[in-house]
Amino acid sequence: MTIGVKKVARPRKMSFGESLYLIEIVKGLGVTIGHFLHNVAHNKDIPTIEYPEVRRTMPPRFRGCHRLMKRMDGTPRCVACYMCATACPAECITIVAGESPDATVEKYPVSFDIDMLRCVFCGQCVEACPCDAIRMDTGWYTPPDDSREKLIFKIERLLEK
Amino acid sequence: MPNFTINGMSATVAEGTTILAAAKQIGIEIPHYCYHPRLSIAGNCRMCLVEVEKFPKLQIACNTVVTEGMVVRTDTAKVNKAVTGVLELMLINHPVDCPICDQAGECGLQNYYMKFGLHKSRFAIEDKVHKKKVQDIGGQIVLDAERCILCSRCVRFLREVTKTGELDFFQRGDHSEISIFPGRPLDNSYTGNLADICPVGALTSKDFRFKCRVWFLSGVESICPGCSTGCNIEAHFREDVLYRLKPRENEDVNESWMCDEGRLEYKKANENRLLAPALREGGRTVAAAWDAVLFTTAHRLRGSVEAHGSDSVAVIASPHSSNEELFLVRKLAAEVLKTENFGFTSRTPGPRSSDDFLIKADKNPNSRGAQLLGFSEEKFDRIVKAISGGKVQALLLFGNVLADFSDAEIGSLLSNVPFVAHVGTCAGAVSRAAHAVLPSSSFVERGGTFTNFAGRVQRFRAGFPPRGKAKNDIEILVGLASQLGAGWAFPGETAVFDALAAEVAPFAGMSYEALGSRGRLAGGSK
Amino acid sequence: MNPLFDIAVSVARIAVFFAFVFGLVVVMTWVERKGAAYIQDRRGPNRASIMGVTLFGMFHPLADALKFLFKEDFIPDGAHRLFYQLAPMFALAPAILTMAVVPFGPPVTIAGKQVALHIADLNVGILYLFAVSGMAVYGIVLAGWSSNSKYPLLGGLRSSAQMISYEVSMGLSVVGILMVFQSVQLSAIVRGQGELLFGILPRWGVFVQPLGFILFVTALYAEANRTPFDLPEGESELVAGYHTEYASFKFSMFMMAEYIHLVVGAAVLATLFFGGWQFPYLGDSGFAFPGGISVAVPAWAVFLLRIGSFVGKTLFFCWLYVWVRWTIPRFRYDQVMRLGWKVMLPLALANIFVTGIVLLLIDRGGF
Repeated sequence: MTIGVKKVARPRKMSFGESLYLIEIVKGLGVTIGHFLHNVAHNKDIPTIEYPEVRRTMPPRFRGCHRLMKRMDGTPRCVACYMCATACPAECITIVAGESPDATVEKYPVSFDIDMLRCVFCGQCVEACPCDAIRMDTGWYTPPDDSREKLIFKIERLLEK
Repeated sequence: MPNFTINGMSATVAEGTTILAAAKQIGIEIPHYCYHPRLSIAGNCRMCLVEVEKFPKLQIACNTVVTEGMVVRTDTAKVNKAVTGVLELMLINHPVDCPICDQAGECGLQNYYMKFGLHKSRFAIEDKVHKKKVQDIGGQIVLDAERCILCSRCVRFLREVTKTGELDFFQRGDHSEISIFPGRPLDNSYTGNLADICPVGALTSKDFRFKCRVWFLSGVESICPGCSTGCNIEAHFREDVLYRLKPRENEDVNESWMCDEGRLEYKKANENRLLAPALREGGRTVAAAWDAVLFTTAHRLRGSVEAHGSDSVAVIASPHSSNEELFLVRKLAAEVLKTENFGFTSRTPGPRSSDDFLIKADKNPNSRGAQLLGFSEEKFDRIVKAISGGKVQALLLFGNVLADFSDAEIGSLLSNVPFVAHVGTCAGAVSRAAHAVLPSSSFVERGGTFTNFAGRVQRFRAGFPPRGKAKNDIEILVGLASQLGAGWAFPGETAVFDALAAEVAPFAGMSYEALGSRGRLAGGSK
Repeated sequence: MNPLFDIAVSVARIAVFFAFVFGLVVVMTWVERKGAAYIQDRRGPNRASIMGVTLFGMFHPLADALKFLFKEDFIPDGAHRLFYQLAPMFALAPAILTMAVVPFGPPVTIAGKQVALHIADLNVGILYLFAVSGMAVYGIVLAGWSSNSKYPLLGGLRSSAQMISYEVSMGLSVVGILMVFQSVQLSAIVRGQGELLFGILPRWGVFVQPLGFILFVTALYAEANRTPFDLPEGESELVAGYHTEYASFKFSMFMMAEYIHLVVGAAVLATLFFGGWQFPYLGDSGFAFPGGISVAVPAWAVFLLRIGSFVGKTLFFCWLYVWVRWTIPRFRYDQVMRLGWKVMLPLALANIFVTGIVLLLIDRGGF
């Protein structure tokens, strides 16, 4: 078996003018000043999104922060089956299940914590949920906060949205 | 000894063996629900249908005895179709509430559905027969009649093993369901086994209910520390939390069962744990480093031997310690401290119920081991008397309780001793009275052997490392001995057990390999 | 006349030039950020606001200064406490000293006395400039060494090697100018540039010494540790170079030193090669364009035009620093050394010879 040799395009040799650098530097300065002047003149064309005030609208299938769905009576739709916690590759979901006062519901989440710092937003939890109780359609990415505790979203916060 | 052929393999089995048991022996699994090796054969679930040559119809493997020249097939299309059909019939009225069912993950219906079923339901959900869910039927059991497949394992268990017969079938046809008789809940000490033998989620444990999904749990072979029977168990834990104990089969000890009391033993390994070594300084107990606590303990023990003679120190061993640990305790007392004051007691606070099956009045897993290793209750009584008389200057105390004394009694008794070192797992009257607290590990955090009431030496294994800053008892004892100037080299329980087998006559010739999964009787036992 | 007047004039000159340079330093930090942003199609600083007024982010330097003042003044454990604290002063002091010799306007007559718009019109102006600015490297080396940390040390070493290398060609590149204008006094050089070359071009340094100009600019950028020669603080490999371990106001002193170097460098460049305060074709009494057309301009306007000319040139070269920074990527270290020793030095030497020969020929031929 012969070794396959692949021809790679090598950069061509520089011409004398290029090797002097000076002309090229002046060309480069031309490019940058072009951008500068354009941006000074057409300030509005700068593509920067001024983040906290202006937000990009996310496409409908964007996986953002989680929310928990509610039943008609306002109780969480979640039955604490741990499917999301099982599917989660980042192990960021912690559920404590309890006996529901409603006998037809039987099991409900006493606490349902999502550690947004660990979450990788893969959407596996949404796929795994047999009750359509967890969704990632808030269109919101993790908001910043100043402590780790605040970024562990509790059930109250997840039910809010 | 009939010779038969199954799926093309021929085998010889004992006379009277059923096809299901024979297939299991040679590694062929035949699906079944109602069959249980320790219960009588009912043959009502029809899952174990197999094709037997010259029989016009499929036969149930659980109740067909192997005969000479029998040819059995379990892998034909006919068998498969039949099994799938049976499964579909069973699932017709099943609520499929797996998300909230504790059995999920170890459920016979789930497992066989994935293996044989995988069908779409042909039965409209509105047509399903609904039965009563979430019924507390006493004992440790919650009954969900809807999930039941009427295999009758529970009924037979209560008739044949506990002989109490609280459960029975009621109604007819697809309305038939299992239930207790009105006003007569489960009333025996072995109800927890119903959750184990129920192949589906109809009977589940009240204690374990909603605590954890089973696929998160890891299991480790262990021995129940609840009484001197030494039931073989599997301890299920997640990270460093123990969730439940399940019986493990051992023909010689507990067959496949365990008592309700034993099932709750796991709580002691979770609750109220001592997690950091501590020293009492000026009336307050403050956390300290291990080195400091070991040094102080050794220093005080040696100090009192030097100042008041070897009779001024005493060692009280615990029958909750393993044989290995007890061996080291005796070695420490007799060889390092050179004192005769070492004893133990099997008395414990609380009720000492017993029956003629698995529950023993001695609520310690290793009293017999302590006796075999030379600890005696008379010495314990003598030590207690010496303590009351103020003759003991330093006391090394193992275990979380002190005989059957109340908290107040323990407090006033130990206040007679200027220095008490406590090696134990849980906080209580003893640790409160101690001047040095050396937190040790629970039965799932360390390995070793217990000797049960009959002298059977059985091994339990470590599932996870000691919680918090707690240490293995063997490490504590070795550390203490080295502070006291003895150069012990015991890297783990295996080395200790080998030394124990070499030195102590009843254990002669034993090793962990020799114990196997069923344990071995210590010499001198009946 | 009276000493009080002299002192007042001196103090006033120092105050004016100081204010000019420091004001420009503050503005430059903003220009650098905003310019960088616009060159890169970003928005740049625009958040700091006073009562809702953001003024294109002009308040950011103010916010930065406040932040520097209130940050913890931190000294790392292993640092040499004395030298660590001295280093920023060593960096800042020479930078400020270099301002002294730059003439920023023509001499004016106040109360019958001629006053040079100069802090100090030394007759060894250029030598002083090089001597003092050469000392800046001590601050950087000291900072790198006294921090007791590997990145600052490497940054400091790189910087010293680079500065020594380019000091040589920088000095040599100016020799041509000195030969042409026959003085090392900056005011004399500026005055020399007021004449016309061939009757058309202003006799600016850049026209009589084009190669010298290119070499000088290159060396100036290297001396100021600016891109493409900012290896001493090459963040991709050295975190922040010699000032990695500095925070708070000590860090801001390094920053100030850098920007003062930048401003003074721009002023020197304008002085040596672009006629300083000279306005093209503007004489003491008005414009005299080639071809005999002349426009009379009042004296006060001439003065203002000349000052404006100096300020304008300085501002342009300050902007050039920023412009170049966001155009040319950083050199590799071996490239820096090769350029310094194998290209710049021979060219600078050749420039001196050629200048000498040309001057000799002019002398003989009597151009």
